[in-house]
Amino acid sequence: MDSAAVEERLVKIWETPPTAQGWFSTVDHKEIGKRYLVTAMVFLIVGGLEALIMRLQLARSNQGFLTPEAYNQIFTMHAMTMIFWYASPILSGFSNYLIPLLIGARDMAFPRANAFTYWSFVTSGLFLYASVAFRQSPHAGWFAYPPYTDSLYSPGLGMDFYALALLFLTISTTVGAVNFIVTIFRLRAPGMAISRMPLLAYSTLTMSFSAVFSLPALTVACVCLELQRHWGFHFFDVAYGGSALLWQQLFWFFGHPWVYIVFLPATGMISMLIPVFSRRPIVGYPYVALSTVLTGVVGFGVWVHHMFAVGMSHMSMSFFSAASMTISVFSAVQVFAWIATIWKGRPVLTTSMYFALGFLASLVIGGLDGIVTAVIPIDWQVTDTYWVVSHLHYVLVGANMFPVFAAFYYWLPKITGRMMNEALGKASFWVMFIGFNLAFFPMHLMGIAGMPRRIYTYPPGLGWDGLSMASTVGAFILGVGILLSIINVIWSLQQGALAGKNPWNADSLEWSTDSPPAPYAFVHIPTVRSRHPLWDDYDEEFDPGDQRVYDQGRLTIASSLLDAEPVALGKMPEDSFAPLLLTIALVIFFSGALAENLWIVLIGALAVIPAMGYWLWPQHERVVA
Amino acid sequence: MSTIHAGQAPVEVLLQPLGIDQARGRQGMLLLIATEASLFVVLFFAYFFLSNGDWRWLQQEPPKITYALVMLAVLLSSSAVLRWGEKQVEAGRFAQGRSAMGLTVLLGLGFLVLSAFEYREHLKHLAPQTNSYGSIFYTITSFHVLHVIGGLLMLSYVLLLPRIGRTDRPPHRAYSDAASYWHFVDIVWIFIVGILYVLPNLR
Repeated sequence: MDSAAVEERLVKIWETPPTAQGWFSTVDHKEIGKRYLVTAMVFLIVGGLEALIMRLQLARSNQGFLTPEAYNQIFTMHAMTMIFWYASPILSGFSNYLIPLLIGARDMAFPRANAFTYWSFVTSGLFLYASVAFRQSPHAGWFAYPPYTDSLYSPGLGMDFYALALLFLTISTTVGAVNFIVTIFRLRAPGMAISRMPLLAYSTLTMSFSAVFSLPALTVACVCLELQRHWGFHFFDVAYGGSALLWQQLFWFFGHPWVYIVFLPATGMISMLIPVFSRRPIVGYPYVALSTVLTGVVGFGVWVHHMFAVGMSHMSMSFFSAASMTISVFSAVQVFAWIATIWKGRPVLTTSMYFALGFLASLVIGGLDGIVTAVIPIDWQVTDTYWVVSHLHYVLVGANMFPVFAAFYYWLPKITGRMMNEALGKASFWVMFIGFNLAFFPMHLMGIAGMPRRIYTYPPGLGWDGLSMASTVGAFILGVGILLSIINVIWSLQQGALAGKNPWNADSLEWSTDSPPAPYAFVHIPTVRSRHPLWDDYDEEFDPGDQRVYDQGRLTIASSLLDAEPVALGKMPEDSFAPLLLTIALVIFFSGALAENLWIVLIGALAVIPAMGYWLWPQHERVVA
Repeated sequence: MSTIHAGQAPVEVLLQPLGIDQARGRQGMLLLIATEASLFVVLFFAYFFLSNGDWRWLQQEPPKITYALVMLAVLLSSSAVLRWGEKQVEAGRFAQGRSAMGLTVLLGLGFLVLSAFEYREHLKHLAPQTNSYGSIFYTITSFHVLHVIGGLLMLSYVLLLPRIGRTDRPPHRAYSDAASYWHFVDIVWIFIVGILYVLPNLR
């Protein structure tokens, strides 16, 4: 068969029709990945606007344009939006789009489950933001310590929105994590042994295992909170034998692995693009891969460092302090590998590389002040001050947002098919970088000067005024920087130069597809012979007999776990409404729980059954002529 | 940058025809079980945390153990029956496999009836609202009951499927996947009996 006919046939098999029906039923990982990216960016903008409102309130002492309750709701919504609905989903978006392309598969292992993770992610976010309509948003910070969050001290719906929206999101994230694991375990192109796997696959894999084992702690915590708030159970109140510390243990057992969940895939993306722009393979590939995995493992042993100030035995504090310092070793291995790669290579300073370097600088600052905070006496001194706010923003903005922007400048040409404007990009980087440091570095000093976090205003004359004003100015500059990049995206969609298949001369498989990739991605399923498929002299799609076209339906190759030897053909499902229906059932369920109406809860739970039944029922296959 | 030499020959194995992949669903089910297992680990952690690390709650009447042991027997026999059913399905005897699964569903329903009785007995002197012990006790056991219901729904669904043997049309291996989930639910009950019922009764 000639190649045009083959391609036409593959398009017919894999394409989702551009109709409303297609829009709601698509299971294409590229479409879902794009939706994830756009939705998470919208959450970033919303969360950013909330941050700016807070900075306006705090710019000067004794400001009164937000009431204390409004301030509490805004800072809590800011934290939840950024941590749960931006930082992790944006990385899921990249992984969703890229992982199948990186490993030479035509879709994720469970495409319908993948659609479900998107629908439930976006509806759980809308569920949370429905609280704004009631003017009863969560108000107790993202870690929501009882007894403050008990119904006695937090009446109203706010904390119920918190618990239920997180439970909803947890389902989405867990399903997504399982999907990533099975995809990477099972769908790698023949020859892509684990010793040749792209580092983004390593970090996504580690992140997914962390999610599978840590999210149940959040589930238990939120269920217990709801049971205590509305059904008279006693978990966190001392009067009935409960313990407020139980919440802290459960929450941070989830919470610290979560820090790595929003951090590791970002390092994976950096490990992909620094070698490309340094024009050489990464230095110490096995060490980077290993330290990624070890970060995930040791990440389960450091949660108590969030609780040093609650009063514990010396033994356990020393253990967790040591573990917290240990984990920095693995990050350091990665940092040194990146620096060595740049050092030994011939770096090309694209916008993407600027953001990667900005990331390195902020990660080192945030990482070092993290190590300092792991020293217990210092922790006692700075707990609940702006020092901690500064540290967590250096780590989260520095180690999540900068890599995300680096990744956008690197991969958007693949996703949209058009290049971004480099000059505007570099301007955007400098504005963001200056704004970021101006916004968050003074917070270190405010923390040392004793300014507590989460206060809605403060009296003058404590040495916080100037620093606060500087921080506010910095936050607005950071906002302008982000705006410049958004303008850049819009500009590039209209008039960016066409990217072609591999504008950066990169090494990984996604760059062998068209930009944007065809629905089937690869005409011939690639086979891999080295760690850098596009830099070696082996043609991955070399297949003169059309043996690896697989055009008898939606098919891709399933391979063995370690050596990626082809073992079977993976059959992929057709487009389906089932994921959306299941999400709707869950919305009914959680709305009922919010309204404390057991009948609606029951209806939602019962609606899950036909949705799942419809989903799993053996389908008749569409025959493509 | 010099080119990396990787050889030109394609991977030869591909010339052999490949069957339809049956393993992804299996891996997904095992990961679901892993995350559910950590859910119960966390619940047991909460139990020990609230008891101040003791395996016996001081000033707390230990629960009566009879019902729990009968329920354990019911669940273990249901797992044995289902295991037998899995072997039948592997050997191609689908009718026997289906009957085994039907019997498992009945035993599971028996478990639910028994747990209703056990709750009625238990609630006479301990309510979830009584204290933290009641709260965590009923939370753990009712989480388990919900998992039993989920498992029963899975098993009944498999019974409805037109084919339970090896098939090229998804869901593949529905029988053994649902069975694995059911075995997991049973194993959780072993831990619940051990931790919530037996240990507090040891003096």
